[in-house]
Amino acid sequence: MERALRILLVDDEEDFLEPTSKRLRRRGFEVKTARRCQEAMSEVAAGWPEVVVLDVMLPDTDGLECLRRIRRASPLLPVVILSAHASMQAGVQGIELGASDYCLKPIELDELVEKIQIALKEAGR
Amino acid sequence: MAWLLKALSQLFRPAPKPGAAELQAAFRSRYRSFRSLITANNAALETMAEMEAALHSGKPFGMAFVRGQCTALGVNVYKMIQGLRELSDGRYRDLPERFGLVTGRIEAILSRQPEAVGSSYVLPLEEIDRRAVDQVGAKLANLGEVRNRLGLRVPEGFAITAAASRHFLESTHLQDEINRRLKTLDLDDLEALFRTSTAIQKLIGSAPLPEDLERAIQDQYRRLAGKAGGAPLLSVRSSALGEDGRQASFAGQYRTRLNVSPELLAHAYRGIVAGKYRSQAIAYRQERGYRHQDVLMCVGCLVMVDAVASGVAFSRPPDQPRSPWILIFAAPGLGTQVVEGRSPSDVFRISRDPPHPIASRQVASAGGDACLPDEQARELAAAAARIEDHFGAPQDIEWALDQAGRIVILQARPIGRAAPQPESAPSPDPDQAEGPPPLLAGGVTASRGAACGPVFTVRSGVDAVHFPRGAVLVVETPYPDWTVLLNRAAAVLSASGQIATHLATVAREFALPAIFDLPGLLEQVTDGQIVTVDATSRRVYPGRVEALLRSPPARPNLMEGSPIHRLLKETLGLVTPLHLTAPGSPFFRASSCRTLHDITRFCHEKAVAEMFDFGRRHGFSDRAAKRLVVAEAPSQWWVIDLDDGFREGLDTSSPFVRVEDVVSAPMRAIWRGMTAVPWHGPPPVSLRGFGAIVVQSTMNPRLDPAVRSSLAGRNYFLVSRSFCNLSVRLGYHFALAEANLSDLLAESYVNFQFKGGAADEPRRLGRVQLLAETLRAMDFRVEMTGDALTARIEKKPVPYLRERLVVLGYLLIHARQIDMVMDDEAFVERYLEKIHADIRMIRERLAEEV
Repeated sequence: MERALRILLVDDEEDFLEPTSKRLRRRGFEVKTARRCQEAMSEVAAGWPEVVVLDVMLPDTDGLECLRRIRRASPLLPVVILSAHASMQAGVQGIELGASDYCLKPIELDELVEKIQIALKEAGR
Repeated sequence: MAWLLKALSQLFRPAPKPGAAELQAAFRSRYRSFRSLITANNAALETMAEMEAALHSGKPFGMAFVRGQCTALGVNVYKMIQGLRELSDGRYRDLPERFGLVTGRIEAILSRQPEAVGSSYVLPLEEIDRRAVDQVGAKLANLGEVRNRLGLRVPEGFAITAAASRHFLESTHLQDEINRRLKTLDLDDLEALFRTSTAIQKLIGSAPLPEDLERAIQDQYRRLAGKAGGAPLLSVRSSALGEDGRQASFAGQYRTRLNVSPELLAHAYRGIVAGKYRSQAIAYRQERGYRHQDVLMCVGCLVMVDAVASGVAFSRPPDQPRSPWILIFAAPGLGTQVVEGRSPSDVFRISRDPPHPIASRQVASAGGDACLPDEQARELAAAAARIEDHFGAPQDIEWALDQAGRIVILQARPIGRAAPQPESAPSPDPDQAEGPPPLLAGGVTASRGAACGPVFTVRSGVDAVHFPRGAVLVVETPYPDWTVLLNRAAAVLSASGQIATHLATVAREFALPAIFDLPGLLEQVTDGQIVTVDATSRRVYPGRVEALLRSPPARPNLMEGSPIHRLLKETLGLVTPLHLTAPGSPFFRASSCRTLHDITRFCHEKAVAEMFDFGRRHGFSDRAAKRLVVAEAPSQWWVIDLDDGFREGLDTSSPFVRVEDVVSAPMRAIWRGMTAVPWHGPPPVSLRGFGAIVVQSTMNPRLDPAVRSSLAGRNYFLVSRSFCNLSVRLGYHFALAEANLSDLLAESYVNFQFKGGAADEPRRLGRVQLLAETLRAMDFRVEMTGDALTARIEKKPVPYLRERLVVLGYLLIHARQIDMVMDDEAFVERYLEKIHADIRMIRERLAEEV
């Protein structure tokens, strides 16, 4: 049997984090959550996640800055940005910094899973 | 000196030629960029199609939708640019700049702020007329007009302006918080809608008014009290900017507070401002295409009328704009009984012509008197006719009769645009029609038409949360609160109420069949039961009665002309038009891209070319084009393996490949279609047709040089196991078929493009039309720009897409020369018959295999 995929959810909204991680686990993923960029970075440094779902509004750091740090620490780790901020400029910035996609909340679980799968494929995993 | 020589010699030594392993690695990384470019291309095309569909479907969408789609589109188009630059070692440097130019324009459209409004926070009614509409909203502007231009009696009062509400929400930083909450709101989730609405209203209701605003309001009140004497109580009403316009009625979406004392005035004001975010108002704005930020809440503070009776007058019945009658609904006392449908009312039908004789009078209380004496009823009718003349359209007027027996006008607005309904389309005679006898009969037609659905009774907000899409809404009383459900309902039935209620007004706008005042309703129907509502003949049948539903009235596109609809249309002008349709033309370059569609087409075309050229450019036989070995074919075909498109163990040094060596599922499907029917060469060309081709070939400078130079035939497949991109340049035709057959539905698609042809324009267009029809019959989404055609289908299971690929393969070979014979109608007819018969045969054969 295949090993479960490890997803790191980075978001400070409890309303999003809890139900989403629960539902992803029910789909057979292994999920860890981080509420701050710093927490996320220690998971990335430990090499735990295989894909990161990242909110761009974090309490300690601007999400794009957090993305920059993740890329520095692990240049090939796929990152899907999930944001409440609909803006072409922000989206393009995210892609420029190496995110595989810039998605908007609210998002259906199926769609999120689809984006994660595409991100992994693009990273050649 | 020696070091210099050494450096120089190193400079001029040729770079070492990369080995096969390095080339393989370089190709792999390009292939990865290519794949993600293709994924982004599909996502971008899909988003464009969704935006186009939203524009034409009439389904509601809000700013969040437009912004969200633009963001997704921008992200994917940018990914394509990134992918192409990776593929091409950083060429196409001017693409990001083109992209920035186009997206900058789109962002400018999306971020347009509502026009600045006047700066006073309050305005007395004496100073208000229609010109003040942007300061005080249409409701108060009209009332000012009625008072100051027509000289009719209205209550004394003043307006708290749009500038005031903006000042209130901005100085308390509430607006940012509200915007944040609305941005992520999914309107299909009724529970979330109710929750968010309540939370926002609470925020506004508990925020303190800015001191200067509070002072301005109190000053106005003192002035009013001085005029009216004593300490008058007020009626505090909403008058939203954009409300009560001719296009959208906003009937009953907002609040009115009655009998407000001066101490509670600030509180009442906050309540009305908060009312902008009632759930039905949020849903209604979305349904009608209004941006929340464009609707500013102005508030009217009017001295209460001590009323003997009150009600509504229609200067014409709502669905009869040429009627000679004025309709008046009256109920005792003051208040909102009539519009909220809380109690039965007296109904007068009065002639529009002076002296306004009364044609009929229905009194609600059995054996009692009408609550509006005849003399005042005629006076009101005269006022209604004057107001209609003044505003130039039938009016819906709220009025009251004061203790002194005087008519006071409380509000006037154009009658909600009734959805176009057949004036006198007779319902099939129910006695003649087969089927069950009606379950219910009677009541009044609040809005005409017929519809079918399961009954769902709503008694409370809790019921409303669970209201399913497509159900028949059953209520005891037509409260305005239920308007929030009208975008999901199939029809409305109410046990009480009449056509002057807000719920009826909105039902008419939505062209939703509605019967009100229907006796025995709640006893006769049960939840879940399927019923057919025939509102025109005021009957409800059990089950589905097809005869009544045969031609459902087309729902009007309620979004058309609304601010958001206009904004999306303007945005799409920078998104979907395609100017780059001819690859290889001198205009097919980055600097010609004017829309996001142009950029996607450009990137896609160039990416395919880069992948095609790699093997040849680097002398890398593994990834160079191999000639397909076939016994009989109308042209030469080449195959390039992108990844795992050839069978394992194939000798890749050979310049040839056989179809059996290719394991690409989509290529095999296309090839199968191409060879399904023996190739007999082009159909006989009519003399005129042939002449036209020769002339076009030699005279038409617009003929694409790339296409012309490739007359020899440059037809190639780029393949992997699940993917195939086929470019066909046969004669003067250019065609592209691309497909990915994946178990992941999101990745699966078939994409087809067709352009060119040597015949003259009418014939080329004719052929594209024929192709379009054939493709549409197979559920492709087809678009045409002149003689260029694109067709797409996506997110379908593999067998479904494979069948379409086989047919596409067939069409590529057999339909491309129809235009040469298009002069001869009889021949076209026969040729088409043959094509359709072939397609049927191909599909049947495939079905048998399954």
